Amino acid sequence: MSNARKRRTSFVFVTPLLVSMILAFNVPLILMFALSFTNPGFTFEHYETLVAQPIYMKVLGNTIRIAVIATVVCAVIGYPLAYWISSLRPKHQVIMIAFVVIPFWVSILVRTYAWIVVLGNAGILNSFLVDIGLLEKPARFIYNELGVIIGTTNILLPFLVLPLYASMTKIDQRLIQAGESLGATKTQIFAKIFFPLTLPALGAGSLLVFMLTLGFFVTPAILGGGRVSMIANLLDILINSLPKWELASAVSIILLAATLGCFWIYRRLDTLRS
Amino acid sequence: MTNNDKSIGERVLKIALAVFSFLVLFFLFLPILVVIPMSFSSASALEFPPPGFSFRWYQALFSDKNWMEAMRNSFIIAAVSSTLALILGALAAYGLVRSGNRFVGILESNFIAPLIVPPVVTGVALYIVFGYVGLLGTFGGLIIGHTVLAVPYVILVMVVAVRAFDYRIEQVAYSMGASWVTIARRIMLPNILPSLLAAWLFAFITSFDEVIVTWFVSGAIPTIPKKMFNELIIEINPTITAIASLLIIFSTIGVWIFATLMNRKE
Repeated sequence: MSNARKRRTSFVFVTPLLVSMILAFNVPLILMFALSFTNPGFTFEHYETLVAQPIYMKVLGNTIRIAVIATVVCAVIGYPLAYWISSLRPKHQVIMIAFVVIPFWVSILVRTYAWIVVLGNAGILNSFLVDIGLLEKPARFIYNELGVIIGTTNILLPFLVLPLYASMTKIDQRLIQAGESLGATKTQIFAKIFFPLTLPALGAGSLLVFMLTLGFFVTPAILGGGRVSMIANLLDILINSLPKWELASAVSIILLAATLGCFWIYRRLDTLRS
Repeated sequence: MTNNDKSIGERVLKIALAVFSFLVLFFLFLPILVVIPMSFSSASALEFPPPGFSFRWYQALFSDKNWMEAMRNSFIIAAVSSTLALILGALAAYGLVRSGNRFVGILESNFIAPLIVPPVVTGVALYIVFGYVGLLGTFGGLIIGHTVLAVPYVILVMVVAVRAFDYRIEQVAYSMGASWVTIARRIMLPNILPSLLAAWLFAFITSFDEVIVTWFVSGAIPTIPKKMFNELIIEINPTITAIASLLIIFSTIGVWIFATLMNRKE
């Protein structure tokens, strides 16, 4: 079969999806982009409104702060876990990785809901602490920023642990042996050889967590109890309650730009890793 | 430091690391460990451990007209959108792998993009367009949205599957006079069938679980995740533990089938 013919037949196979995606995905995004600069002529006023009104800046600040905290927590608890799993016997590694992957598959709604059962006012932890007399009345673990961070960390942890674990198992053991034979202590080997080699994966995984937190919607809506507003919840209000489509478009474009920026750096780190 | 001290210190560190890791795994797993027992509780409030065993929340779920309607909608939307995503995605994956075109990379990125674009952004964009063309609050709109979100998974699975299939086999069949239909039916299909099923399953679960785009474009149509989300914001009703457990079991079976299919292929 000639190359030209091959190319033509391939094109026939791709076309149905290409046309559908352009109509149902690319065109809506482009329209949204256009709408964010429209009133009804060309304008920057929607973006100016976002900058000028403190409420929008506050939501943006909230989102970035929660994303940073969730990322740091994920890194701090995820790194030791990945390290421990990579140090196990291969058969045990598979089991532990399965434990990391399974929650991944359970609906975010279900996992978020469980935190109400565990940490709510009448939840397991509060009843326990009140029963043993450690607390007089239930403490507020959720329906605040802490709740959002717990829920977010719980959902996004696998995104950090899996790439980290993969990079740890790929480390050339001869480098470690070379360090040992040259008289380095375990601490030195970790600090000077092991950790630097896992740094790109740690960076990539952290960036992924950060990027995904920026667009989180369900967890802050449920575990934030209406008190913690993130960008996605602002979009919900701008579309479903107010409605201010142009402003919502501008917010979406900013979120999209931030996400794509993160993803671009992520890809750079990823190529560095392999 | 003597050698002995060092090994004791090391051992303590090792144990501490293991304990810490178990705690983190426990943290990851806690939601699943809690929800399933709660769904069989006989208590009408959140009580853990449950005081007794009962099926009352499952009965409440299955006798509730609204939940049943939501379930029916979710199944219809997931069945249609995952099938659409599979047909369009599998054909495109074949075309992408078999063409030597230099735009293949860009096309593939575009098909995977809904996975990277935050769903809430896709939701807003679709809301605006559906608002203009009158698709808000319709099954058609929901199916379009879910198909867009499911396509990346189909592409990811099927591109790998087609790439793994030796092109020369097709060429031989073609040179021996087999028609396109025969090649597709007798040679391609049996080889990529496990991947097709896996991709379809992936797409189905994606749609069945989808809440964000649904929240924006569904109008008054209830689906399971949307109804759960609604109820979780307003009040806590143990009926949700029943549907949550069913969803856990449902996705576990799905993943198990997926893993089996992918293993058989190897």
